[in-house]
Amino acid sequence: MNKTAIKKRVVGVDISSELTTYAIVDVRGNIIAKDDFPTTDYPEVNGFVTALCERIVGLVELNGGYETIRSIGVSSPSANFMTGCIVNAPNMPWKGVIPLAAMMRDQLGLAVAIANNAHVVGLGEQAFGAAHGMREFVAVTLGSGMGSSIFSEGEVNLGYDGHAGEIGHTCVQLNGRPCGCGNKGCLEAYTAARGIVKTAEEVMSETDEPSLMRNIEKLTPRKIYDCCEQGDKLAIEVFRRTGEILGLGLGNYASLLNPEAIIFTGGIVRAGHWLLDPAKQSFEEHVFHNIQGKVKFLTSDLSESERNVLGASVLAWQVKEYSLFKE
Amino acid sequence: MNDYYNYKTKVVGVDISNDMTTYAIVDIRGNILAQEMFPTSDYVDVNEFVAVLSERIIAMIEANGGYETIRSVGVSAPSANSLTGYIENASNLPWKGSIPMAVMLRERLGLAVGLSNDAHITALGEHAFGQAHGMRNFVVISLGVGVGSCFFSENREHHGNQGFAGEFGHTCVEDRGRRCGCGHRGCLETYAAAKGIVMTAQEMMTALDEPSMLRNLSELSPKTIAECCDKGDKMAIEVYRRTGYMLGIGLANYASILDPEAIILTGGIARAGKWLYEPTKQSFEEHIFGNMRGKVKLLVSELDNHERDVLGASVLAWSVPEYSLFV
Amino acid sequence: MEEVDQIKTRVVGIDIRETRTTYAVVDIRGEIIAQDYFNTLDYPELSDFVNALSERVLTLIEENGGFESVRSVGISSPSGNFITGCMENAANMPWKGVVPLAALLQDQLGMAVAVANDAHITALGEKAYGSAHGMKDFIVVSISHGGLGSCIFTNGQPHLGVNGFAGEVGHTCVQVDGRQCGCGRKGCLETYVSDKGLVKTAEELIAKSTEPTLLSDLEELNIRTITECCEKGDRVAIETFRQVGIMLGMGLANYASVINPEAIILTGDMMQAGKWLLKPMRQSFDEHVFHNIRGKVRLLVSILKEGERDVLGASALAWDVKEYSLFK
Repeated sequence: MNKTAIKKRVVGVDISSELTTYAIVDVRGNIIAKDDFPTTDYPEVNGFVTALCERIVGLVELNGGYETIRSIGVSSPSANFMTGCIVNAPNMPWKGVIPLAAMMRDQLGLAVAIANNAHVVGLGEQAFGAAHGMREFVAVTLGSGMGSSIFSEGEVNLGYDGHAGEIGHTCVQLNGRPCGCGNKGCLEAYTAARGIVKTAEEVMSETDEPSLMRNIEKLTPRKIYDCCEQGDKLAIEVFRRTGEILGLGLGNYASLLNPEAIIFTGGIVRAGHWLLDPAKQSFEEHVFHNIQGKVKFLTSDLSESERNVLGASVLAWQVKEYSLFKE
Repeated sequence: MNDYYNYKTKVVGVDISNDMTTYAIVDIRGNILAQEMFPTSDYVDVNEFVAVLSERIIAMIEANGGYETIRSVGVSAPSANSLTGYIENASNLPWKGSIPMAVMLRERLGLAVGLSNDAHITALGEHAFGQAHGMRNFVVISLGVGVGSCFFSENREHHGNQGFAGEFGHTCVEDRGRRCGCGHRGCLETYAAAKGIVMTAQEMMTALDEPSMLRNLSELSPKTIAECCDKGDKMAIEVYRRTGYMLGIGLANYASILDPEAIILTGGIARAGKWLYEPTKQSFEEHIFGNMRGKVKLLVSELDNHERDVLGASVLAWSVPEYSLFV
Repeated sequence: MEEVDQIKTRVVGIDIRETRTTYAVVDIRGEIIAQDYFNTLDYPELSDFVNALSERVLTLIEENGGFESVRSVGISSPSGNFITGCMENAANMPWKGVVPLAALLQDQLGMAVAVANDAHITALGEKAYGSAHGMKDFIVVSISHGGLGSCIFTNGQPHLGVNGFAGEVGHTCVQVDGRQCGCGRKGCLETYVSDKGLVKTAEELIAKSTEPTLLSDLEELNIRTITECCEKGDRVAIETFRQVGIMLGMGLANYASVINPEAIILTGDMMQAGKWLLKPMRQSFDEHVFHNIRGKVRLLVSILKEGERDVLGASALAWDVKEYSLFK
């Protein structure tokens, strides 16, 4: 073993409710090798952890060997970086508090860090993407839910208990739409996938105007976007309303934090300017005047398939190396 | 999508050293997309130097993607102060006194310019792409014409109250020892930098009668001495052993005060390989505070010499806020 | 003793408000050595104000230890920006635009001067001498100066944001197309929760009320007088604070959901209302905050005295700026 050099590679793992992806990533963010399997194949968490660890060891042995890997970073829904556990994840098959970091470390003999997706995405954007060089920014994820991570003085700010960034559950409408979290009027109930579909239903019921959307059986944000691209007026209005509320919620956020930029990631961002233009306009209308015109709206350049494992690889560098054998 | 939501992914890294000035376009991942150089000494007038450097940089940018793709510029120069943006009384550059280099370049280029000295720049490069990746507390030592250092504390480089921290080469390792160019006696630099190693060789050749390949060398330099070591020359090996011994003491003192995770050796002299490394490591472990023995890693940079300084300068470029004529 | 170097153990804290400017000499332990004040409005011209303030500060210093005993100066100012040292577009002050307050005073006083807005100052005071002592992640919300400001502390440091404007919770929109705000927009939290917002809510309720209320007999509607009516059981007065509490609770809940602080500390004249405001605020907060945070955030009221808090905070700020001397 080379005693004069550090290990240059880590493993990044992204666990989502459907797919688990794992990759070997080097210090420059080059993905050396990558593979995946359906999370749903393992309804029992012990089976899942064993399968994941076996697969990681297999990939590592084929690509440089075990001694080349420094540590492991894992992205998972409802993960808490401070405790290393998945906590009461509503959309995952395994319930309760799961000490995933410790379980994986025991099987792999390497240090493991775990964090939730918004945190991991922020790290990835700072290392390789739109937030490179920034010390004050917010990374927002828009998909089936809405989350965010706050970066302050160049480091992530998780808050006192590790829960900071729940922008999706700020109230933007007193007694508004019911949200899965139990409250009413949450920002997420308007801007995440289900919220956009609901807005489309509302728009269609308010008028008799024809619309391509009326012919679609199961509306999704993607299909609504396709309608926008074809010039459908009602579809465009759906994203305009969504953008308006999104801009309001983000305007409030920026008035509190005064970030240099807000970085948008997640499936919904593929709606492009249909969503972001009205959002920016609404944002500038609502943000505190001394901050007006100062906050950049940026979209991530990283590809969907890369972003999460790259971010997870950055997380891996932040955990102290582990060894069973004290030197 | 609208360019409005995109960001610039390239910067320019410039390394001004006593003989050569190198400039390159570097992307977010540290890939050098284009690089050129010219002799610093060709331009005795600093205004002319700045004009020529700026013209060359602009030409390179235009030939590689265009002006709008570049975010900012980072510059490494001897005796540069990153807090003030000035080069201050550089002993070996053609231009004397206090030179506002950052402002001069910014006016010509219309881009934000960050300026710092080579020890800081080297540390930035090692942290972003090399042996210090993932560390929060470490020291980078640069061994060349002089001995410089830069240390990071809690992930931030420590500049000190006036920006002069890290003058490790001018710490005293021998009371009433060798005379140093700075005016003091016994500075570490007089033993561990290029001239110091040569002087050690000369002292040995004078004091001892033994034959040695050193006596036949037309040019005595750290490089030629190392080559003699490779050929098994006993005196040459002893030159590096003595050098390593002094260097190890200096490093042990440094570590006893800072408790870093690692000390990383960079610079021309570090290329002497095991001839210098092994006696340094041994002396280091002998002299370090007991509780730290065996815990502080002593690493050697693996970044290519041609790359290291422009890469580090590119990292500096990201840390300076973007410049715009219009506030 | 001359063999070793000494530090200066005193600073000057200045609190500039719309009506009154207070200045004090404060020592390292937060003891106020001497304090005085004058009416800000006596000096509508900026240069006159700066001259008057400087003269008065120098006099106070000379009478209490002399020039050499003071290290630096900290100033609390509406819309003060710590990063630029300027008062920036303060809505309620006589001097408009960007005012380079720190530089102007440094020139006249010959000492380092730092400027910050009152929310930041209040937070510094709470951290050094008050309810936030020992905390690293907290928010201080101050309901005063006619508005609602706040300052976030993360990891023991104030989070000022990239331009120095972070914390403007008073201008977060809590009601689309709501009340008109002095900043130009509608529905800002401040239009419901400041002392002016309180009075407006009271007036609306008095107009709508079918029952008689003590509030209609009041000469002046303000925090103190409305609170007194609450104490006497007046239903409209109680409802006024209840509605303000609901809005405040929701605004704070959103804040907590995104920042997840250890505590939120409330300060300002509005705290005189006591339980009439705090009980509905707490209830609304618990209703609106994200469930993983419910029950985790402490809601506290400042333990520092009104008259002291801002000069103490300004004195804490003074310690943060590097010493300056015309004479190197």
